[in-house]
Amino acid sequence: MAERPTFSPFWHRVRALKPRLRPHVQVTRQHYRGRRWHVAHDPTTNQFFRLNPIGHELVGLLDGKRTVEEVWTILLQRHGDDSPTQQEALQLIGQLYSSNLLSVDAPPETEQLLRRGRERRKKKAMGQAVGLMYFKIRLFNPDGIFAWLEPLFRPILNRVGFFVWLAVVLGAIVAILPHFDRLAASVDNTLAPANWGWLTVVFIVTKAIHEIGHGVILKRFGGQVPEFGVMLLVLFPAPYVDATASWALESKWKRIAVGSGGMIFELFVAAIAAMVWLSTEPGALIHQIAYNAMFIASISTILFNANPLMRFDGYYILSDLLEVPNLMQRAQNMIKHFFKRYAFGIENDQPPTTNAGERRILVTYGILALAYRVFLFISITLFVMGKMFALGLLLAIWTGAMWFVLPVGKFVHWLASHPSLLDKRVRAVTATMLMLAMGVVSLGMVPFPDWRKASGVVEPARRSGVFFASDGFIVEAFVSPGMRVGAGDAIATIDNPEIRVELATARAELARAEVRWRSALARSSPAADELAEAVTNLTERVAILENRIDRLTVRAPHAGVVAGADPSEFVGAWVQEGTAICEIVEDRGSRIVATLSQRENTWAIRHATGDLPVVASVRFLSDAGRSIEGNIVEVVESGQSRLAHASLGYAGGGTIATDPQDESGTMATSRQFELRIVPADGEPTGAPGERVRVRFTLPSRPLMAQWADRLHKLVQGRVTL
Amino acid sequence: MSQALTRYHALYESLMSRRRAERTLKGLDKVAAWTRMKLTTQGSSLRVLKREAEQIDALAPKVRGYSEAVLDEAIGRVRERFLLRTDDKETVREGMALAREVARRLTGEEAYTVQLVGALGLYRGRIVEMLTGEGKTLTGSIAAVMLAWKYRRVHVFTVNDYLAKRDAESREAIYTRCRLTVGAIQQEQSPDERATIYSRHIVYGTPKQITADYLRDQLRIRPLATAWAGRQMMARFGNAAGAGPIVPGLCVALVDEADAVLIDEGVVPLIIARSRREDDMAQVYLGAAEIARKLDEGPDFSVDRLRRKAELKSRGLHRARRMWAERPEAIWRADRRAEELVRQALVARCCYLRGRQYEIVDGQVVIVDEYTGRFLHDRSWEHGLHQAVEAKEGLEVTADRETLARLSFQRFFRSYPVLCGMTGTAADAMREMETVYRRPVLCVPTNRPIVRKKLPMRIFAEPESKIDAIVEEIERLHALERPVLAGTRSIEVSQLISERLTARGLEHRVLNALQDAEESELVEHAGAAGAITVATNMAGRGTDIRLDERARRAGGLAVILTEMHGAKRIDRQFIGRSGRQGDPGSSQIFAALDDDLLTQHAPDLRTVFKRPGLRGELRQTKAAAAAFRIAQRRSEARDRRNRAAVLRQDDWIDEHLPGS
Repeated sequence: MAERPTFSPFWHRVRALKPRLRPHVQVTRQHYRGRRWHVAHDPTTNQFFRLNPIGHELVGLLDGKRTVEEVWTILLQRHGDDSPTQQEALQLIGQLYSSNLLSVDAPPETEQLLRRGRERRKKKAMGQAVGLMYFKIRLFNPDGIFAWLEPLFRPILNRVGFFVWLAVVLGAIVAILPHFDRLAASVDNTLAPANWGWLTVVFIVTKAIHEIGHGVILKRFGGQVPEFGVMLLVLFPAPYVDATASWALESKWKRIAVGSGGMIFELFVAAIAAMVWLSTEPGALIHQIAYNAMFIASISTILFNANPLMRFDGYYILSDLLEVPNLMQRAQNMIKHFFKRYAFGIENDQPPTTNAGERRILVTYGILALAYRVFLFISITLFVMGKMFALGLLLAIWTGAMWFVLPVGKFVHWLASHPSLLDKRVRAVTATMLMLAMGVVSLGMVPFPDWRKASGVVEPARRSGVFFASDGFIVEAFVSPGMRVGAGDAIATIDNPEIRVELATARAELARAEVRWRSALARSSPAADELAEAVTNLTERVAILENRIDRLTVRAPHAGVVAGADPSEFVGAWVQEGTAICEIVEDRGSRIVATLSQRENTWAIRHATGDLPVVASVRFLSDAGRSIEGNIVEVVESGQSRLAHASLGYAGGGTIATDPQDESGTMATSRQFELRIVPADGEPTGAPGERVRVRFTLPSRPLMAQWADRLHKLVQGRVTL
Repeated sequence: MSQALTRYHALYESLMSRRRAERTLKGLDKVAAWTRMKLTTQGSSLRVLKREAEQIDALAPKVRGYSEAVLDEAIGRVRERFLLRTDDKETVREGMALAREVARRLTGEEAYTVQLVGALGLYRGRIVEMLTGEGKTLTGSIAAVMLAWKYRRVHVFTVNDYLAKRDAESREAIYTRCRLTVGAIQQEQSPDERATIYSRHIVYGTPKQITADYLRDQLRIRPLATAWAGRQMMARFGNAAGAGPIVPGLCVALVDEADAVLIDEGVVPLIIARSRREDDMAQVYLGAAEIARKLDEGPDFSVDRLRRKAELKSRGLHRARRMWAERPEAIWRADRRAEELVRQALVARCCYLRGRQYEIVDGQVVIVDEYTGRFLHDRSWEHGLHQAVEAKEGLEVTADRETLARLSFQRFFRSYPVLCGMTGTAADAMREMETVYRRPVLCVPTNRPIVRKKLPMRIFAEPESKIDAIVEEIERLHALERPVLAGTRSIEVSQLISERLTARGLEHRVLNALQDAEESELVEHAGAAGAITVATNMAGRGTDIRLDERARRAGGLAVILTEMHGAKRIDRQFIGRSGRQGDPGSSQIFAALDDDLLTQHAPDLRTVFKRPGLRGELRQTKAAAAAFRIAQRRSEARDRRNRAAVLRQDDWIDEHLPGS
């Protein structure tokens, strides 16, 4: 049991004071996991303070007439050993006083007040600096706006309104589900650079509606919304409102309602947008905007707002649902406590909670949040670095310093000098070293699977165009795309009456010329030679024409699959000689061309020289469940900017940045690198031209080496710029 | 009117100074402040000051040639320039040359260049390290003149009342000649007398006296704190006669023995208290003492002697409960409070020992300063501890006192806009001086090289053989006619050594907790050939031990430390008693494996050396000496941490509670 000395040497500082809560401070009662708490809230400064029942009693007894000493004595008589010690009472009064919740009969300490204000501003600035990834810029006080808006919304902010909302949202989901394929297919368009402008506009509007949701619902329950501003989320602006006044709401459901208000409004927008999207034609601007709205309102809501691992709406909702206040902080403290208690052997360390249920929650949440934080840091950094290298690097260094170096420094300082470790320092240092060693071993020595990803395209072994050999009307088509044909199989027939007439004419002329030649020969006429020549000419002409008639039927040059245009669409049309009709693509023995950026080529080159066994596994975009194994047969080392296929580039919906000036869409902005892959067991590779994702499985290596590689890759070729 | 204006001004300054205390900084702020301090004090680095001192030195022949009248005139001119705040470097140089000349003419002492460097350092607000015997008094008085010219009021802090009086009187002539007034604050003075003295330019006094006066002022003027409008303030203050402040604002503090005052005693709070008008608690404390007496250490309770905490085990708690259930007083009904009382009584029984932590004088418990071995007469422990000790000793239990105001020296000194100090051992406390007070330390080289010999440490298995060896060594040195100074950590040990010396028929003097004046006189005689002096570590601080001719020939003062102290500074301080101004001398530390330092701070290392059956002196002392040094370092770190904790607590209170 921790020692609780009754007396405090500083008691004289408060003993004779007659403090009382400031008149405008509101105290509400809340229940957390069956225990009663009182929340004191000062609406003018938006300060909160949570009191336990005895603390509340103490504050209640401080009426401005009793001295602190009297109140302390009353509590001592009422509660005996449970009453607060002088130190505890002093601490409580001090905290309330410095939060400006308590007014004291003593003269105001201007200096102290000013200093407190300064410190608060400094602390805020410090917080901003630490959280550069969510930088807040305060704009104005929106309370007036919400006071005006709230009556407009009041008629629908009730049970009926909720059911209507539910109906609309569910209706939209039901309506849109059958179109899921189309929905998924449009994602590429949405993320294409051409749409970024609209995406941003829709994002800001949707998020503004989101904030209105919070504000209006909070206003409905009587809270104040003192701040509106813009938060730079990884440098991307998003509006925010200060809805902390909801913490003072008595019912947890009301607090949850305020917390989810943003998402409620946003999902409603998404539902409306879904309906608009369904009822408009593709290509229309409104259609695209509706899709954007739907996309943002649903995806961002699920990824960010509802995510309880970040300090957004979801976190507060979860905290209220679980009835665990100050979840993040206490979860961290809980994890720290476990380390202190079990790794370092500090026996008298106080855990943030002794309630078993709450402990489970705190531990689970603490671990998840920590893991998520690391994940978020790495992925955001990589993302930003990929887009804007220098900025991303700065952001990463800063955030890394704030999130990792600072805490590590603090930890080392704590380890080296904290009094609570007085007798345990050796053990604590040993434990830390051990954990560190374990980390180094597991990251630096134990091999982990290593794989790299690339996108690619199926490339056929042979591909030929089929062309019309003569002019004419198409009378019949024998194939359609995807149909397998053998060499010489007929593909389409055209008819050219002109040729037929010509042929008939030519044949008639030939017959006549033969007759004339024979008679001349019989007469031994000198014209016989001349006529013989004419016959030969005409015979040739007939042969040519017959050949042309014959070529009216177009045949496959080799076996394969019909691709490209559908010949049957040409039936009845007039074509000219040389017009392409379709393609015959040989699918047996086709290969996959994967494109890697120049920076990734080290492992590929090592593979090409035989140093590194690599297995490629290929996944088809058209058929997510299907995947085949393959071997790399060729590594084209000369980096080229020309892509193997337009579908790999941005312009073709791929993942590689292409030059917007280039109409073919195959000119990449950076030099690319090709790998040819052949399926291991000769399986068919799918339709040529199809996009695939290739995963190259490299030999397992320790994570540290893998990360170093990746970092090297990211930095390589950029620093010299 | 002019008097009212002066009083108004005093009140104003007094009010202003209560707002000036700087707060302790943390983290990056701390680093930034430290860097800033280092950068801004580049202009007063040793190199710069040395050059400046040499320039002042160059002025000496000219100034020496002044007639008395010319000198007076020059002083008047310089002072005027300071008053008009047109003090450029040249004025400072000239002023210091004049002050030096005045001191030379009046006392016959001419300041060395290094003393000028020290005085310049003080003038520039540094903590100056000057070894003992380097003439700190002269340095201080030259600096005091300069500071008083510039800032009008200087408080010079001395170790005790006697020294305050002695220094003020001996320097009065110099100050008067420099057109400055001087006074010394003494324990027995009335408030009116004090007010008069505080109105002088230079005020000598102990930290305790001046802090207490300041704190009483603050208590009195607190209600006026908001009456900023001058008229209102005057009205209120005029009605209550004598309600004005005694200390008219804080201007400059010049602290002698700065490390002791600012660091060791820095966190000791000065408390103004009154007796609590409460039901008689005497019986309660006596009852607790009785219960504590009946409990056994081990089965009933455990004691942490380092932190001075006792913990009741379940058996002990059970037994104690039965015992307190029989007692009639109402307080025993509250379990937590009752347990606390018993724990406190146990601490009083086990951790507070007569002769170490306290002594009984005239039937009263008097606290002994554990750093200095000095009696702290008007101090009492807080929250019943004092009463628990009284009850343990069976003395009359005094009434518990109720705190009205408290202020630590640390906070008090930080309220001064200008703070400077002198000490023999500042370098060891440099970091703390720099972080807590933001005062850079200046190490002034000695005037003559040190020839004192440092003899290797002697380590013994148990205290008995150590004492034997010490007595033998004293006898040996005495036979050589060398003066010997033996320093002890506690009164207990000094008495023990004294008994042994008496048994051997060696004439000696024991110095501990005597009257300040007598103490200084005794210490002054400790340098006579063949003199033996046994003293607690801090006894006679501030007085030089001058060797006589025979003693110098015999090899100078031999300093024997009978125990290693908890802080290296204190050891150095004591060793520094010998070898002043290039005198010969020697120092040696005697230590035993059972000494508190090792048992409390390095029990783990102690087990390495302390083998069963080990007796007498250790032959191999290198490793053991290292263990002692480690223990010393740990002890220093612990004290530093404690001080930091007090500082943090002070800051929290200041930050979170109304009033100051």
